[in-house]
Amino acid sequence: MAKAKALDKRRKSIKNIRKITRTMELVSTAQFRRAMERAIAAKSYSQRLVQLVGDLARSGHNTSHPLLSSRESRGRAALFILTANRGMCGGYNAGILRAGLAQLEALRREYDEVELYVSGKRGLSFLRYRKIEVARAFTEFDHKPTYEEVLAVATDVLTRYQIGELDRVDVAYSEFISLSKQQATTTTLLPLTSLAQVDQDASRDEIEYEFLPSASSILEEVVPNAFKVQLFKCFLDAAVSEQIARMMAMKAATDNADQMISALTTTYNRARQSQITNEIIEVISGASALQ
Amino acid sequence: MKCSVVTPETTVVDAEVQFVVAPLYDGEYGIGENHSPAVGRLGAGELRLTLMDGTVEHWYVEGGFLEVLDNSVSLLTNRAARLETLDVGASRAALSRAQALASNSPELADVKESAVALARSQLRAAQKGARIKK
Repeated sequence: MAKAKALDKRRKSIKNIRKITRTMELVSTAQFRRAMERAIAAKSYSQRLVQLVGDLARSGHNTSHPLLSSRESRGRAALFILTANRGMCGGYNAGILRAGLAQLEALRREYDEVELYVSGKRGLSFLRYRKIEVARAFTEFDHKPTYEEVLAVATDVLTRYQIGELDRVDVAYSEFISLSKQQATTTTLLPLTSLAQVDQDASRDEIEYEFLPSASSILEEVVPNAFKVQLFKCFLDAAVSEQIARMMAMKAATDNADQMISALTTTYNRARQSQITNEIIEVISGASALQ
Repeated sequence: MKCSVVTPETTVVDAEVQFVVAPLYDGEYGIGENHSPAVGRLGAGELRLTLMDGTVEHWYVEGGFLEVLDNSVSLLTNRAARLETLDVGASRAALSRAQALASNSPELADVKESAVALARSQLRAAQKGARIKK
């Protein structure tokens, strides 16, 4: 009897685990939808900003800006690493940390000092274990980073860049490319060279804009905004990718639990059957002994 | 004429309008049908949209840009809210916080000045929102 009972107990506990993984899958599916909508909204905003810079460039104005050109000095760099607050999402955190550490090594070779800005408990505990110092830690950006929260961080970093405390700002995060593809990457946010590259593409016709007050004043406003929005987009991408990773991981876990349950059910039934057979044999042999 | 208001978080407005009055950095700017292409810097203040049925919507926008092209007006702004939803008390508190900022160096004085100006425009918008509600 003992074996069948143990098997049944195990099957029950796997059923409970399956319930949990299934619920987590559903929760992250719901959160993923919401995060996705926000990521799309931010994308349309940043696309329009980039378009605006392109328009400024095509109207024949000088689009040089201190934030767009790279610097000679190699004093201090900052690296953002955006991980998740929770695990249970497959190789998501590990991938980002691998990309982040590689970038950290590269930056350390080039710059005198590198500051780490880390978001997410997973990344923080990993770096603590590796005894790597973190300049600033964030745990408040969960599945729903708001623009206001990111803005505070972005403004702070931007000011330090402008007064020369920082010479470069990089981000290691998981880029959301499509539903089936997310990739842990690192990009450089300051200097904003990506924005300067867009300038050269002149696919649209030249339009005579009226600038209020002037093209240079608008550029002065656009560029810092573009940085803030790009940082925000990194956070949103990270949130979307995290939910997708968790969805996949939990779906795989649920499927595995299903398989284990059916395998255990078969073994349990066999054990029960052989137990009954044994008992019958015992009864029969007991009865025949009495004759 | 189409008008859209986009913040980094959502698209707030996407509607057909007759007339738009937008708060530029130095005053209001009206845009009617067939306006010439323009790019402008927004300040903080009230945005009025006259919809196709003649009703007027009041919004509060905070900084960003305005682009007019081919009968479509798009505003990219950091923050957008209905004027009626602004809280006069909170705006007043923000103003006194801004006025309490230190200004003992030129940089800090600049920061304070812009914070006070921003809080003033927000308070003005909130007060107008409260009047509209009544």
